[in-house]
Amino acid sequence: MSKQQGWDEFEIGAMLRSFDGKIDECPAFTPQRDRNYSQNSSHVASVADWRLIKPVYNKDYCIDCQFCWVYCPDVSIISRDKKMIGIDMDHCKGCGVCVEVCPTNPKSLLMFPEQADEETEIASWPTKDEKEE
Amino acid sequence: MAFDKLELNEIEVWDGNHAAAQALRQAQVDVVSAYPITPSTAVVEGYAKFKADNLVEGEVVMVESEHAAMSGCIGAAAAGGRVATATASQGLALMAETLYQASGMRLPIVLNLVNRALAAPLNVNCDHSDMYMVRDSGWIQFDAFNAQEAYDLNLIAFKVGEDHDVRLPVVVNQDGFLTSHTAQGLHPLSDDDAYNFVGEYKPMNDMLDFEHPVSHGIQTEEDWHFEHKARQHADTMNIVPAKIDEAFAEFERISGRKYNHIEKYDMDDAEVCVVCMGTSVETAREVAKEMREKGIKAGVIGIRVFRPFPFADISEALKDLKAVAVLDRSAPGGAAGALFNEIAGSLINTDTKVLLSGYIYGLGGRDLTKKHLVDLYTELQANADAGKLLTQQQQFIGVRGPKLAFL
Amino acid sequence: MSEIKKIKNLKEFSTSADRFEGAHLLCPGCAHSIIVREVLNATNDDLVLAASTGCLEVCTAVYPYTSWDASWIHIGFENGSTAVSGAEAMYKALKTKGRLKQPDRNPKFVAFGGDGSSYDIGFQWISGCMERNHNMMYIVLDNEVYANTGGQRSSSTPIGASATTTPAGSVSYGEKRNKKDMVAIMASHNIPYSAQVAPNKWKDMVKKIQHGMNVEGAVFINAVSPCTTEWKFDPKDTMHLADLSTDSLVFPLYEIIDGHELNITYRPKNIVPVEEYLAAQGRFKHLFKDEYKYLIKEWQTRVDANWAYLQRREEARV
Repeated sequence: MSKQQGWDEFEIGAMLRSFDGKIDECPAFTPQRDRNYSQNSSHVASVADWRLIKPVYNKDYCIDCQFCWVYCPDVSIISRDKKMIGIDMDHCKGCGVCVEVCPTNPKSLLMFPEQADEETEIASWPTKDEKEE
Repeated sequence: MAFDKLELNEIEVWDGNHAAAQALRQAQVDVVSAYPITPSTAVVEGYAKFKADNLVEGEVVMVESEHAAMSGCIGAAAAGGRVATATASQGLALMAETLYQASGMRLPIVLNLVNRALAAPLNVNCDHSDMYMVRDSGWIQFDAFNAQEAYDLNLIAFKVGEDHDVRLPVVVNQDGFLTSHTAQGLHPLSDDDAYNFVGEYKPMNDMLDFEHPVSHGIQTEEDWHFEHKARQHADTMNIVPAKIDEAFAEFERISGRKYNHIEKYDMDDAEVCVVCMGTSVETAREVAKEMREKGIKAGVIGIRVFRPFPFADISEALKDLKAVAVLDRSAPGGAAGALFNEIAGSLINTDTKVLLSGYIYGLGGRDLTKKHLVDLYTELQANADAGKLLTQQQQFIGVRGPKLAFL
Repeated sequence: MSEIKKIKNLKEFSTSADRFEGAHLLCPGCAHSIIVREVLNATNDDLVLAASTGCLEVCTAVYPYTSWDASWIHIGFENGSTAVSGAEAMYKALKTKGRLKQPDRNPKFVAFGGDGSSYDIGFQWISGCMERNHNMMYIVLDNEVYANTGGQRSSSTPIGASATTTPAGSVSYGEKRNKKDMVAIMASHNIPYSAQVAPNKWKDMVKKIQHGMNVEGAVFINAVSPCTTEWKFDPKDTMHLADLSTDSLVFPLYEIIDGHELNITYRPKNIVPVEEYLAAQGRFKHLFKDEYKYLIKEWQTRVDANWAYLQRREEARV
C-alpha cells in the first residue's frame, strides 16, 4: 500500500479485507500461492529490511523433518508436499530459530550476514567433522 | 421451532421500558447482550420473558457487566445481525469505552438508554448526565419524551442505523422512571407492520461470511486515524440527517405519527420559547398553552435528534424569537449546559438578536413543576420586553438554598 | 460436528495452508506467532477469531495490513473473550433463523489474549464467557509480562522476575508474588476442557486444540510463550526456552476434563533443574547473586510441590 488515501477513499469502519473478491472454500484448503490476497494482507508486504543476519538453506543435508516449518514465527519456511523447498525472504526476520531447531549434522540451515553470497556459503558449508559435540 | 407472534390491541397500556422491549421483540433482534441496571432493567427482563415464552427466536446473552454487554453486542454485530441492549447511568459509564469502539467500527447497535443521574452521590432517578456523557461518542442519539415515542423510536433506530450508507449505532433515550416506569396508552404497530418497517437485516462486512474474511477493529496510528474519524463525522453530518428524514417519513405513512429532528410546539408566532428534552417537553407544552392564555406568545422546542445535532433546524426556528431558555438536566461541571452550548452554536454567526439564557434543573430526579415553568416563561417575557437579559446567563431552578446563578 | 483434521506427524502437519501471514510486526523469534500457527493449523474449519489488545493484536492488524486470513475482531484490552462470545451467539441465532450465508460451514470461535489482558484486566470477561459456557476457546499467550507496553508486571509475572514496575534493585529481587493459577481457576468454572500447552510440544498442542475445538462448550487454554524481549534471551533461543519451561516443569503440560479430571500429558524423561530455566533468562539474572540464591531453592521446592500435586490429582481421578 503505497498510496495514503484520503478520508473518502476507503471502506467505512475499522476494517480490512484479507482477499480480493470471494473465496470459494475455506483458505485452509487453498495453498498460499493460489490465494488472491488483497493489497491489505501483510502477505504482500515485506519485513526483509528487519534482517541483519539471514538463514541460508542447504538442501543436501535436509531430511525434511519440518521442525523449521512448525517453529518459524514468520511463516517463512516454504514447504510443499512434505518437502522443505526454501525460505520466504520477504517475511523472514532473521531470528535464527530455524537454525537452532534443525536436527541434522551438519545443519541444513545456518545464519550468515545479510550481505553474504548464498552460493559461496553453500560451497564452503561446514562438514560433520567441523561441528562441535 | 418457530416463534409465536403476539396479537396486540389497538391501544396497549405499557410503560417506556415495556414499550422498548416490545419494539425489540417486533424488530426480531438476533442477539440481545445485556446486563440489568435500574431503571432500564425491565427492558432486559421483558425481552428475556419474551424469549422464555417463545415470542423471540434470537439469542439472549446475560453477561456479567455493562462493559461486557456492549462488548458482546459489538462481537455479535460484527458477526452480522441485528443487535440491541439497554442500560442507564453507571452502566453506561462502565460501557463508555466500548461505545466509541462500536461507532468507530461502524456497527449498527440499538441501545436503550434510560436516563439516570451519575453518582456521586448515588442516585437512581432521572437526569440527562448519562446521555451527555456519551454525546461525542459517535452514536446517533434519539430522545423520546414518552413511552409511545420510546417504542416508535426503537423501530426507527434500527432502520436508520442499519442502512448501509449509515452503519452507525443508535441510542434511544427515555427519562428514567418518568417515562420508563409510567404506564400510558400506546398505539403499537402490528407485529408484521413493525417488522416490515424495520426490514430484514442486511449484513455488511459480516464475520460469519466465510467467503469474504474481514479483520474488524484494526489499529490506525497518526497516518490513518484522522481520516477514519473524519469519514465518520462526514457521514454523520452529510448522510445521516436525510436518512433520518426518510425513516421518519415512512414511519408517518404507516403509523400516522410524525417525527422531526426538533419538535416545535406553538412556534409559528412565538416570541419566547423553552428548549428542552425528555418528559420536560410535555410539561413545557402544557405550561406554554397556559401562558398563551395570559398573553405571552410562548412556544416549546423539544430536541428529538440530539446527534447529529440539528443546527440548521434550530437556527431557523429560533433566530427570530425574542428570548429563549435552554434547559439542561445535567450538572454542567464548570461550563454552560451542553444543550445551551449547542443552541448557542446554532445561532452564532446569524443576525439573530435572540436573548439566550440557560437553566440547570431536575438533577437526580428533582421534579420540574409547572410553577417553575410559569416563572421561567414570565422571566423570558421580561427579558423580551427589556430587550436584554435581566438575569445571569445560567440559573439553577428547583434547588434549595440561596439563588444560584452564574455567567 | 466437523471432521477432525488428520495430523499424524510433522510432515503431514507441514502440508497445512497457513491462515496467519508473515510480515506481521511481532519481534523476531516471538513465540506468539508459533503458537498461533499451531492453533490455526490444527483445524481446517472456518474460524472466527478475536485478539485482545496486546502484542498479537497490535502486530497483526495495523492499517493498512492484516495478517489474518480468517474472520477476526479486536475491540479492546479486556474484551476479546466477550467479542467472540457475541459472535458465537450471533452464529447460534442465525442458525436457528436459517440465515447463515454458508450453513454447511462449522466455524470455530477462538479468542487470543496475553496474560495482561487475561490474568488481569480481562479476567472478569473471560470468567463470564466460561461461566456462560459459550461454544468457544480462549487461549492465553502467557509471556508473564505486559510485553507490548515494555515489560510491566502482570499477575502472571512469577516471583523474582524483574519487570519495569517491579524492578530488581539494590534492595529488591523484583516481583514479590507468585503468579496465579489460571488453569485451575478457569477449570473451576466446570467447563468441559482446560489445558496448559507449550509451542515446543506441537503434537500435544494440536491434540489439545483439536479436542477443545470439538467439545461442546467453553475451553480455556494457557500457552507458555517465551518472550525474547522481556525474558531477555537471544531470539534464536525461543524454542530452547520453551523446552526448558516444560522440561523443568515450571510449565507442566496437563489437561482438566469437566473441571475435575486431571491428566498429565507430558512427562519429561530428564527433568531439568529450575536453576537452568532461570539462568537462561536475563529477567532472573539478579537471583544468582549470593543474597538471593535462596530464592532459586524456593523456586525448585515450589515447582516440585506443584508437580507432586498434579500427580496426586491425576492419580486420584477426582
